[in-house]
Amino acid sequence: MKQRVLWPAAVAAMLALAGCGSATGNEPSSNSASGKLVVWDWKSSDKTATAYVEKAKADFAKKHPGVTVEFVAQPFDQYYTLLGAAIQAGKGPDVMMFNGGGQIRDRVDALVPLDQYVSPDKQRLTGWDAFTKDGKAFASPVTLQGHPIYFNKDLYKKAGLDPQKPATTWSGFTADCAAITKATKATCFALGNKEGAGIQFFLSAFGTGTLSPQEYDDWIAGKRDWNSPHVKQIFQLWKDVEANGLNNKGGNSTTMFTDAFGIFQSGKATNIIGLMSDIGHWKDFNEFLGPENVGVMKSPVIAEGAVPSLPFDGGIGYGVAKWTKDPALAADLVRSLTSTDALSTFYANAGAVVSDTTVKAAEPAVTALVADLKTGKPALHVALSSKTIELMGRLSQQILDGSVTVDAALKQLGESDRS
Amino acid sequence: MPLGDFTPLLARPARAGRADGTGTAPPGRRRTGGLSAERLSPFVLIAPAVLVIVLFRLWPLLLGVNFSFTGDGERNGAAVGLDNYTELFADPLFLGALRNVGWLVLLLPIAVAIPGMLATFIYLHVPGHRFYRSVYFFPAVLSPVIVGSIFNLLLSFDGPVNSLLGLAGLGPVDWLGDSNVAMFTVVGVHVWATFGMSLVVFLSGFATLDPALLDAARSDGATLPQVIRHVIIPGLSRTIQFVFVTTMIGMLTSMFGLIYVMTSGGPGGSTYLPEYYIWIQQGQMNRPAFASAASTVLFLVMLVVGLAQVSFLRRTGKED
Repeated sequence: MKQRVLWPAAVAAMLALAGCGSATGNEPSSNSASGKLVVWDWKSSDKTATAYVEKAKADFAKKHPGVTVEFVAQPFDQYYTLLGAAIQAGKGPDVMMFNGGGQIRDRVDALVPLDQYVSPDKQRLTGWDAFTKDGKAFASPVTLQGHPIYFNKDLYKKAGLDPQKPATTWSGFTADCAAITKATKATCFALGNKEGAGIQFFLSAFGTGTLSPQEYDDWIAGKRDWNSPHVKQIFQLWKDVEANGLNNKGGNSTTMFTDAFGIFQSGKATNIIGLMSDIGHWKDFNEFLGPENVGVMKSPVIAEGAVPSLPFDGGIGYGVAKWTKDPALAADLVRSLTSTDALSTFYANAGAVVSDTTVKAAEPAVTALVADLKTGKPALHVALSSKTIELMGRLSQQILDGSVTVDAALKQLGESDRS
Repeated sequence: MPLGDFTPLLARPARAGRADGTGTAPPGRRRTGGLSAERLSPFVLIAPAVLVIVLFRLWPLLLGVNFSFTGDGERNGAAVGLDNYTELFADPLFLGALRNVGWLVLLLPIAVAIPGMLATFIYLHVPGHRFYRSVYFFPAVLSPVIVGSIFNLLLSFDGPVNSLLGLAGLGPVDWLGDSNVAMFTVVGVHVWATFGMSLVVFLSGFATLDPALLDAARSDGATLPQVIRHVIIPGLSRTIQFVFVTTMIGMLTSMFGLIYVMTSGGPGGSTYLPEYYIWIQQGQMNRPAFASAASTVLFLVMLVVGLAQVSFLRRTGKED
């Protein structure tokens, strides 16, 4: 009788113990004390970033020969989900990559302010604003991300227009578009708004041609009036461009990454509001259209008094986690990741416009972009919180399909921005 | 034996005596004073399963529910009472996601009728029925991501489906970019991708159907619709109930992949479902506690559906 009880008891105990194993798996915890730093990003697995990472590692190894650095490349579409879990658990990587703007500002509670560690880099690097909250920098910028308007010079030539002199007024710009569409059937814009990203690019690119310099600076400083006539004009323009057939059809179901870029690259659209780094940028377009056919322009003047400029910010950067055992050591790794040597390599291999102002550009489109950096200003949409950005994406789709009016959308955006 | 003396089997009292006259009353319990081995061993045997369920299911669930009463961001970890729930039910996006659940419930009969009809035709041996049986099941083994990607290509604005419509002289439809159409498109694709499993369940249900009833109906001159209505549907009532419940649960819990790949919840949030909302709040908005509140609400919705399922199955069990 005893035996009959003991067997099941033994089996149960074994099974129960089997279930009590560690559930932590291979999750990295802070290792800096044991001479190891863990970095999370979504770049280091790209072929174009391999040499950059090696250069940064070599630079760090010179300063700290005993410390090993491990890069863990996460898939971008799950990156912030995984990071959220790490932040919630209070343990994770020592150094982590962030997009500038809302993504990092929403998470500064988990980061170490870097100002005291990176002060020697403050002049050499640009794009700090996107990683700054309440006057403190929480990451060092690696690339610059902006929203230039790229255009296809070849289509301009086919329509008998001079690609060296793109229009500087909205009426001139749309007249050029009409001429090109008549000659080549190419639409004025390639729009991809399936992710709700189209409106972000539109707001930032054409906002510089609509808001007065004072309104623009106020917006970036957090004093945003969503009911102002000029803000309404931008959103009305978003609706009108669609209504007047200037976009490719089905913008709401076209992904920006990468279908909309495909439309531009195949010559089916004259203009696209693209990016400066990562994807949908000059280097991608050069491959398809040829460097001689990729033009870059700033926004035409849409409202009287506006001074168009290149909207740009820090694109991606590296920050240091609060839970790291030695913040100074981790900050040193961030400094290596933003060293001139490493960033030069990143520019050369990935085509990213890097944050280092001493890195010299070669291609025509980049030369134009870099020249505009001096007068450029932070992008309007980067100043918004993730919550408002997400709402703006949804409302932009509804404005396009007519289920929400511009006024109602602006009312909701104003409320979201204030909360 | 005269018929009047015959007692139908089912009409006998539940605890009938055995044929040899000895009753089947339970034997008297032996009082051993302590916990006997026989009484203890079942508990010991189910202990591992119970431990696993408690440790890996119930305990995390309770932690999640508890977590939903705390704050995010600056209020991280602080007790906030019902704030998350108040905000949740004030959010038009979440209410829209719940409304979409309502749409799913309304579309459920179609999702059940399609495999039901096709299984009926296969059972009635339409020409090529063997070929159709395997072809219909095929999509059920595909990943939602693959299915979504395929249909993204087919349904894109300048894709083949709209080209065909153009040939037929009909205007193009923005299948995934029109907020009035997108939800129906995604549900349609979901049904296409999953009806194979329901079809197999229906076919196994048909195996229990008495062919003599069909023959009798045919010899009485019943038309196909009459056969379906008066013979097949009543004969398969249990199968239909089962498919209803499993399809419902499938729609509520396994459409994330399709939504993610095909519409990202858009346009304008029109294809949001609670699970997608939870993912956005946790991953993109960095609000895990708020996402836990939404998860708890989804859990309660699922609990209601699950209990409905249990009651369905219990009722069908009693029919025997």
